[in-house]
Amino acid sequence: MSRLVADGATIFLREWLRYRRDRAYWVGQLAFPLVVVAFIGFGLNGVVRLPTGVDYTAHLASGVLALLVGSAGVGGGMTLIQDRESGFLRALLVAPVSRSSIVLGKIASRVVASLVLVLVLVAILATFTAVGLPHPAAMLLSVIAVTTAFVALGVALASQLRSLESFRLLAGLVTVPIYFLSGIFYPVSTLPLATRWLAYANPLTYGVDLFRFGLVGVHELPLLPSAALLVLLTLAATTGSILIFDRRAAR
Amino acid sequence: MHSAATIAGTSASEDAIVARGLVKRFGSVAALDGLSLRVARGSCFGLLGPNGAGKTTTVSILATLARADEGSASVLGRDVVRERAGVRRELGLVFQEPTLDPELAAREQLDLHGRLYHLESRRARVGEALALAGLEADADRPVRGFSGGMKRRLELVRGLLHRPRILFLDEPTLGLDVAARAGIWEELRRLRRTGDLTLFLTTHSMEEADALCDGLAIVDRGRVVAEGSPEGLKAALGGDVVVLSLERAEKKEEVRAQLGALSGVTRVTHEDVGGAGVFRIVVANGPQRLPELLYAARPFGVREVQLHRPTLEHVFLHHTGHPFELGGRELEGAP
Repeated sequence: MSRLVADGATIFLREWLRYRRDRAYWVGQLAFPLVVVAFIGFGLNGVVRLPTGVDYTAHLASGVLALLVGSAGVGGGMTLIQDRESGFLRALLVAPVSRSSIVLGKIASRVVASLVLVLVLVAILATFTAVGLPHPAAMLLSVIAVTTAFVALGVALASQLRSLESFRLLAGLVTVPIYFLSGIFYPVSTLPLATRWLAYANPLTYGVDLFRFGLVGVHELPLLPSAALLVLLTLAATTGSILIFDRRAAR
Repeated sequence: MHSAATIAGTSASEDAIVARGLVKRFGSVAALDGLSLRVARGSCFGLLGPNGAGKTTTVSILATLARADEGSASVLGRDVVRERAGVRRELGLVFQEPTLDPELAAREQLDLHGRLYHLESRRARVGEALALAGLEADADRPVRGFSGGMKRRLELVRGLLHRPRILFLDEPTLGLDVAARAGIWEELRRLRRTGDLTLFLTTHSMEEADALCDGLAIVDRGRVVAEGSPEGLKAALGGDVVVLSLERAEKKEEVRAQLGALSGVTRVTHEDVGGAGVFRIVVANGPQRLPELLYAARPFGVREVQLHRPTLEHVFLHHTGHPFELGGRELEGAP
């Protein structure tokens, strides 16, 4: 167990060394939500009245941050393809390190990177929107669950695909409907019945709702069931990605 | 009974690697087709064969990265399937393709490797490794900008960082220029002299196998076709050939009798070429015997002398019936 944690920490350190240097990554991740809020949020703010009573800018800002967390998770799965292309994955696999610690280290590094981004962006957005951090625990649970689930998705895709191009294409194809039907851009309660049920079947809906509760203090769905579902999702996604990595991606 | 047990015990402790009847299939193609080998502890063992002979597959199985469909293998007495974790701690691996993270600096790669192997006094060892690779000045630059030779040196010292007892090298000098290749060879020779490290290298270069290895297995189409020392394999073909061109061709019987009596000489044949007698002498260890041969031949007027040594090329041809460059699977189905 202690070895698992120590090895996971080593993988975490390695991922962190990589991100730290990738200035384009940080600039892009910081700029994207601000651009969306400034260029779309303010424009729609005068047009849209939400049934939840939240100012649209704050709704969109919290939603876009959740989207950021999700795409960072998929990016975590994508590093597997990069590691395979550079050959580094082979060096990892021949080391006396368990497959589980490799996956856990990758998940943890993405969780921490996303937390850093979310905190910085909340601090910036708080100066001109209604976004804040009234319920940090809800935000934390949501970031962990959403990141883990999307890393799992990324690992599953990476185990099937060999090139970065096809990964990006397919990941977009799979994740865009998930994002759109999760309450990022509008409350799911405003959807017509058929798509509303699709949204309820989408695990990300619960992550976004809890995340928004963390940042804006408003939620559409019952909190405790959402929280319980996210804990289950985290556990299932972690187990799933370890199994997939061990069986398929590690070849 | 007692002596049998002793022999078995001795061989188990002296073999670094034992592989028995390894079979590995990829679809309908058998990459390995019953490959067996033994590698003595502390030796430098070479797996020599053309591209596609099954060398990399063998290394993958021995290094626990792939599983054989049939057969078994052990490394330092540990089974490569059942005792995977134990085997991994004892071995270092330098792959044919690069396995460095291009975004990390050389020092960071080594430090991470040290962490993955839970090394004590990591900083000191990383410093030593950087010095050994001659990369101290470039230690904090991302590996992306390194030359091929620098990368290979970094891979080599990384493979050695945790002081493995066996180092696998898959085509260690493939794609390197002459100078970089000489540097790696020198480093491998130096390693041989220190400690009881066992080196297991695959190569398709006859020259490399000859220069570095004291034990060789020649593989072709997933099987070992010949095994032994480079010298032994070449000697098994009958030894070296010395060709003497002598002025006094009329004394051929006398020449044959005198030269044939020298130690190491197994055969003397003769033909007349343009007034001179040309004698072909098959002799073990030609370079050492040459002075003696010349001394014995002097009364007959030596005009010219040539020494031909059999190469591993001849050995391969002898055992497979086809030349090295045409070996492997490319040949199959060719018109």
